[in-house]
Amino acid sequence: MAVKVAIATRLRRARWLTYIYFRCLGQQMKAILAYEADFVILLISAGLVQITGFLFIWTVFQRIPDINGWTFWQVVMMYSLIFITEGVGSLFFEGTWRVSRLVYNGNFDQILVRPVSPIVQVLAGAVGFNGLGNIVTGGALLAISLGNVPAQWTPGRLLMLVILIISAATIRVAINLATSACAFWIKTPWSMVPMFVHQLGEFAKYPITIYSMAVQAMVVVAIPFAFVSFFPTAYLFNMESWSAIGLLTPLVAVYCMFMAVWIFRVGLRRYESTGH
Amino acid sequence: MPLIEAHGLTKQFRQAVKEPGLVGSLKHFFTRQYKDKLAVDHIDLSVEAGESVAYLGPNGAGKSTTIKMLTGILVPTSGSLIVDGLVPHEKRQQNARKMGVVFGQRTQLWWDIPVIESFNLARDMYEIPAARYKANLAEFTELLGLAEFMNIPAGKVSLGQRMRADLCMALLHEPKLLYLDEPTIGLDIAVKDSIRKFIHRLVEERGTTVMLTTHDLGDIEDICNRIVIIDSGKIIHDGGLADLKDNYARDRVIHFQLARPPASMEPICAGLPACDLHADGLSLSVRFDRFEFAAGEIAAAVMPHVEVIDFRIDEPEVEDLIRRVYLGQLSLAAPEPTADTPESAVAAEA
Repeated sequence: MAVKVAIATRLRRARWLTYIYFRCLGQQMKAILAYEADFVILLISAGLVQITGFLFIWTVFQRIPDINGWTFWQVVMMYSLIFITEGVGSLFFEGTWRVSRLVYNGNFDQILVRPVSPIVQVLAGAVGFNGLGNIVTGGALLAISLGNVPAQWTPGRLLMLVILIISAATIRVAINLATSACAFWIKTPWSMVPMFVHQLGEFAKYPITIYSMAVQAMVVVAIPFAFVSFFPTAYLFNMESWSAIGLLTPLVAVYCMFMAVWIFRVGLRRYESTGH
Repeated sequence: MPLIEAHGLTKQFRQAVKEPGLVGSLKHFFTRQYKDKLAVDHIDLSVEAGESVAYLGPNGAGKSTTIKMLTGILVPTSGSLIVDGLVPHEKRQQNARKMGVVFGQRTQLWWDIPVIESFNLARDMYEIPAARYKANLAEFTELLGLAEFMNIPAGKVSLGQRMRADLCMALLHEPKLLYLDEPTIGLDIAVKDSIRKFIHRLVEERGTTVMLTTHDLGDIEDICNRIVIIDSGKIIHDGGLADLKDNYARDRVIHFQLARPPASMEPICAGLPACDLHADGLSLSVRFDRFEFAAGEIAAAVMPHVEVIDFRIDEPEVEDLIRRVYLGQLSLAAPEPTADTPESAVAAEA
């Protein structure tokens, strides 16, 4: 009984936090939409970036039919997962990119005096509408590549597809959150660490087997971008030796989020509220 | 039980020691050097519910650092701190529900969205029941005159308007405790006055406990019944405004306006041995200890020797008093040798 009550309380709390998250995010969206011209320019430029990106892949695969035993459609799926998760990160969780500035000028104070989890406030701290372009392009590429998966689409497999996409997005957001916490250690207004780690995600656009052991170890174990694209794709395409590892993706996502929250909290204790 | 209770509360910052210029930065990169700064140095503080405390001190004394520990923003280096039964940095969110904060230099409002939207967001974050929210919002809008800019983004209203809106936002959830960090900084007299009246009313009617840091002594006289002064991280005075005046502002000055210059100062001086006399043309001023002499005695000693047209008595000014404390001309506490230099204290606040 007590356990039931505790679970109910937790669920209510989680629902409330989700509500607050979307309320904050909604306000951010309103703020951006208030500057209509800016918004239109942003959408146009985001669209252009995506079209260029797509043309690039298309050109590459005109010349190179397969990479290290991976076919065109498999690589397209990896690309699409990187695009989609990147888009989700920008559109819904852009706030992680604001942490270093908030910490640097002491504006993180404002977050700490409110009765809402600082992590939820950070995640909802900004909206990157350019993520919309990534999601649309990535979604289209994913849909096309899924059409080329040889397996039967049973309900179980479809469910797994949804779980894999959510897990992949979670891993990426967790990595962003964890690296954003470096602001508590490195006190510069624009820390390069999150950007650097983010760029490592580029490795995961291609089959990791093409890289040296060191790079593989990095994207599998240290900063598990391989679980954003490579392993889920291996699972969906039934690539013998890799597909089982793909099933671990949800666990990796939970682990990453757990670690990110822990790192962020450790960093928070170091916050010194500089400025006035 | 006191609402705020601190024992030996201490905050030490670690600061990078850098030489100026690019070379200095590079050097620092390879040979890291740090200096520890004690911003708040073992302070004991106890505040009862309903008190309104002015927390004063020169720049860099440790005022803001103390407030930041009370609000849970900073984790104390050592010592204990309990605010309404909670350790602020451990139960930060629970602590946040019970307090309101206004930082004069920063806003809690969302910059790009209309003021009213910020209030509505606060309503959701603090889970304020709809009826109470409505009633409070109506009351504060009226008292603080917010109606005219309610639909304008916080980034586009004037400083005075923003501060009033900030005050409203900090109070919508009816906090027990209100922290004000320089709430009237940069405001014109009219706005200062309306903010002071508002806070005064809050203390009287709602019994809100207020802790205020300020450099504006008008704030203190209008709002606070207790004064705590901190300098170089240590509390050097804690008591009522009257105590402060009685203990440290003993001097009064009587200014006499004379019909003609005094023929000789000697007989007057002889009659007032313990006083400080100053004569300049047609004016004569006498500085005296008000616990040793009554003003009448001074007048009686002066009148027989000169023809007095008019006179006035200067009360000790709190402002002047505190200025002298800051400048180190007046020591409120028993002097004790410390390693802290004024320079280190300034750096700690920065």
